[in-house]
Amino acid sequence: MENSKYDIVVGLEIHIQTKTNSKMFCPCPTGYFQKEPNTHVCPVCLGLPGALPVPNKRAIELCILMGLATNCDIDHEIYFDRKHYFYPDLPKGYQISQYKRPICSDGYIKLSDTVVEIERIHQEEDVAKSTHHTEQDSNKAYSLIDYNKSGVPLIEIVTKPCIRSASQAKEYATRVRQIARYLNISDADMEKGQMRCEPNISIQEKGKWEYKNGVILPIGDYELNAKVEIKNIGSITAVEKSIEYEVERLIKELESGEKGIQQTRGWNADKGITEFQRSKETVDDYRYMQEPDIPVINISNEDIKRISQELVELPNERIHRYMNIYKLSRYDANVLSADRDVAIFFDNLVISIEDELKDLPSSAKLASNCITGTIFAWLNKKGITISKANLDISDLVQWNLVLNSKDITKNKAEELLKESLDNNKDLSDLLDNFKKQSSESASNLENIIKKVIVKNKKAVNDYKGGNKASIAFLVGQVMQITKGSADPNKTKSILIKELE
Amino acid sequence: MKIDSSFLKHIAELSRIKLSKKELRKFTPQMRTILESVKVLKEVDTTNVEPMKKHVPFSDLREDTAGKSIEQEDVLSNVKHMENGMVKVYGEVFGGIEES
Repeated sequence: MENSKYDIVVGLEIHIQTKTNSKMFCPCPTGYFQKEPNTHVCPVCLGLPGALPVPNKRAIELCILMGLATNCDIDHEIYFDRKHYFYPDLPKGYQISQYKRPICSDGYIKLSDTVVEIERIHQEEDVAKSTHHTEQDSNKAYSLIDYNKSGVPLIEIVTKPCIRSASQAKEYATRVRQIARYLNISDADMEKGQMRCEPNISIQEKGKWEYKNGVILPIGDYELNAKVEIKNIGSITAVEKSIEYEVERLIKELESGEKGIQQTRGWNADKGITEFQRSKETVDDYRYMQEPDIPVINISNEDIKRISQELVELPNERIHRYMNIYKLSRYDANVLSADRDVAIFFDNLVISIEDELKDLPSSAKLASNCITGTIFAWLNKKGITISKANLDISDLVQWNLVLNSKDITKNKAEELLKESLDNNKDLSDLLDNFKKQSSESASNLENIIKKVIVKNKKAVNDYKGGNKASIAFLVGQVMQITKGSADPNKTKSILIKELE
Repeated sequence: MKIDSSFLKHIAELSRIKLSKKELRKFTPQMRTILESVKVLKEVDTTNVEPMKKHVPFSDLREDTAGKSIEQEDVLSNVKHMENGMVKVYGEVFGGIEES
């Protein structure tokens, strides 16, 4: 996607529904997913006259926790504001949000090759769910509204326009989701709408603009190109794809001499394109005002300290430790730290193997291969997570030690592990059986090899005549007779000894 | 800020109110008078005056315990149109203004 003429400028807004029992400003339950419409509402979240909002303590803690995890400054006074607009999904005629003073500001997240600056994280409330239809007989447009989602706690994480490619945007969104899941702030399931990404994209001519204090500025008399906001993004992959598509569209538009307008476009995942929704020629006019129904909330250093005790080792710290102490590749470190349950399981396995092996990097490599190989494949096939899999650490330690001792081939070991997982068989029994069989067959191996030599005169003569490749055929014969239980390397060396 | 008919039209659009040209001519001077009166407040010197806003400690906030919602029947009791337990709204309310 590198373009020699243009730079890509992207800022990302991410909304995340935080995991609370009750709504942001009323005690209605939050678990509305697939529930009967309009059953999780009360006068507050319906915006009935006279109802008073009372902020949810846990929701604000989770917002602060996200801020702490992304290196933000935390404000010591929390102010709420009203953001006015008229839309049927917003029963009060305004959304309670934060305008001038977000709870968290000036943070950052480190990615593999860049740092994404976070401008702010603020607390707000979600709106109702509306679906749009047309009446069959009258052809009249109408909407159906379910207020169950109205008032669910929502945090908005806004970056500065400092992202320079679609892949960086994808990596950033992935990392935000990981952090939210690691800290149990949210399940951040995009398909369920628990996390929503909205990129702002523009392309600017190289050398004609600069990035200063979080703002894109023109150099000289250059006129900045308008930015486009994309909505309806339903997955992390779509974050990358929609930006790639939009950048290409913007370049085509500009190259054809058209002047792009500031607009909102919707991502159509089926067609893989963005579609025009509306132009944004006028500046949004939300007539913000301080929310008079909610007092200023004082946050003390002790409050912040208490909340920070919920911080755990985050993905970046894990990746760093896996690369520097476990000596894993960046790729393996990324894969193993993507999900916290996997990472915890991996760490347990590494420590348990190291107890026996007394070599940390080798133990980590064994554990990494074991999890990212056979176990991931099996979890995928089963469609379950590692925490639901009921895997026995001590069996897996045994398995890795046997594999490491070279008493078993990699293929055979994986076959046993698969058999144990698929058929719920005891892995240590399978390993014991294998050891018993292989020690029996080891004494047989020399006899078998002798028989093979007698039976395959042509291959033996070929080998003796200088065709060294025919040894592979002889090894194959031995493997066939032993049904794959013989070690091919060992077989080969015995064969060579016998033949020379 | 100039209080003219285009300003009033903008305010009306934000509030989803349609005003005819005649109405704009009628209401613009009225709006001007209202804002002129309110402007008097601006003359008070409020430097060094803290905003009158109650402060509460974090611990005073509501604990996150889910309570009971009201019955769907009651929720919809004042609703003019409904379908499958949802509120049904018609009209041009959707143009131009953005969702959260």
